[in-house]
Amino acid sequence: MLRTHSLTRRFGAHVAVDGVDLAVEAGSVHAIIGPNGAGKTTLFNLLSGELAPSAGTIEFRGADVTRLDVAARSHRGLGRSFQRTNVFPRLSAFENVRLAAQSRTRESYAAWKPAAGVAAERAWAALDEMGLGAQATRPANELAGGDQRLLELAITLATDPVLLLLDEPSQGLSPEDARRLIDRIGSLRERYTIVLIEHNMPLVMNLATEITVMNFGRVLAHGAPAEIRADPAVRAAYLGTRA
Amino acid sequence: MKRFALLAAIVAVAPLVVRYPALETQILIFGLLAVAFNLLLGEMGFLSFGQATFNGIGAYAAARALLDLHAPFVLALPVGIAAGALAATIVGALAITGRGVYGVMLTFAFNEMAYYAALQWRSVTGGDNGLRDLPAPSLFGLALDDATRYYYVVAAIVLIAFAAVLRITDSPFGAVLRAIRENEGRARAIGYAVRRFKITAFAVSGALSGLAGALYAELFRFVPVQAIDLDTSTNVVVATLLGGAGSPYGALLGAAVFTVLSNSLSHVWSHWPLLLGVVFCAVVLFFRGGLWGIGSLWSRRASHA
Repeated sequence: MLRTHSLTRRFGAHVAVDGVDLAVEAGSVHAIIGPNGAGKTTLFNLLSGELAPSAGTIEFRGADVTRLDVAARSHRGLGRSFQRTNVFPRLSAFENVRLAAQSRTRESYAAWKPAAGVAAERAWAALDEMGLGAQATRPANELAGGDQRLLELAITLATDPVLLLLDEPSQGLSPEDARRLIDRIGSLRERYTIVLIEHNMPLVMNLATEITVMNFGRVLAHGAPAEIRADPAVRAAYLGTRA
Repeated sequence: MKRFALLAAIVAVAPLVVRYPALETQILIFGLLAVAFNLLLGEMGFLSFGQATFNGIGAYAAARALLDLHAPFVLALPVGIAAGALAATIVGALAITGRGVYGVMLTFAFNEMAYYAALQWRSVTGGDNGLRDLPAPSLFGLALDDATRYYYVVAAIVLIAFAAVLRITDSPFGAVLRAIRENEGRARAIGYAVRRFKITAFAVSGALSGLAGALYAELFRFVPVQAIDLDTSTNVVVATLLGGAGSPYGALLGAAVFTVLSNSLSHVWSHWPLLLGVVFCAVVLFFRGGLWGIGSLWSRRASHA
């Protein structure tokens, strides 16, 4: 579904992502873990098109998307949610999600009809899926932290993606909210291929079918959760210091 | 709809109550320019500091059509609209490559260039003498040489344009502009080609500004070089923020207040901009929603009580 070949990104002399070969199979939940500064978010920025790679290629659903911009990749079915909540703050929760759904219609240049009804069904479905139906009319910046993370996901879902790039979805959440979010993500596994950056180890071990461990911009190890847990190099570099 | 009906009623009776049709026509035209400007600022979140560029180019283009092609008034208007839209498309496409304040400065710089070009290119613009003695406007044989008659023609056109802006604001296209204003990066991430939307918004804003310019040219049958100068651009910004950038109604209200103040106070006290400056600072510092924001706050309180 998603492959990278020797994907590299340099910032001056610093190599943030260094020759990464990643293969994400359709239907998998692929977690990317590693210490802070390992290059995980930079890798995501390359995958979503926020950053251009210094070298290497990205292949998505059989086509080379290396040169496509963010919006074009979104239309190919790459849906990204962000590490720091990234919503339309003064618009209602519903409008946040409706805008995302509207981007899949041919009506975004329509200037002569009311927007309220455009893609409304899809928007309600995405809101309800994340359990935000009751918050629909509230401005996004007035939602509680956990709900904002869920809204973040709902926006991404409303674009009808094929693959979800989730950047630390549980970041900054209380244990209770994190659990709520894990449940929601768990329910998405059947319909979406998911690539996930996450520090929350129980969450990773629970959800992931495959894990890639990064350190210093490189892939340190790759395998099933059980293999990764047993890998001595991984334990030394990462798990050992945390678990 | 109720608000629009009220606006239309006020516009309809204004010259009957206060007999200054020329001033009232000026208010409507300047109001149209402010509404056009506010499509960029209020909806999309882009501060265009060179709105007079599109106004002036629209005015000159319409005037040239009247003079050289002996175009009737109804055809001079679309010429102004097209010229304003074209100018804004070019300026917009270049200005949005600059991030934040750099984009603002680019609209400002293009306005300076357009102004000096207008000063120099005398054969087309009349330089600092302006273009004088344009043919009097007429509509399908009816002469609009009377100020009140011209007022009503302008009123009809401006109200139609204003209604169009209200619809655009409410439309899927308007929703995308607000998404860009709120969070450009996220708008891109959910699949919007942000650049194309911005340029389209500039074109629409430029078209309306060009229309304002064309209407202005026929008001005094004269296009002064002030139609394209930076003072006009600044006045549009000040008037809109004074009225409230949150709503097209606010922009219109601000234009009305600004025009009335500048016409009445400048006769009494030549340093009146000083007073305007104080009022402007007070509004921007303490009432972000502008006069319209204060008004709608009141009416909401009244309906709660």
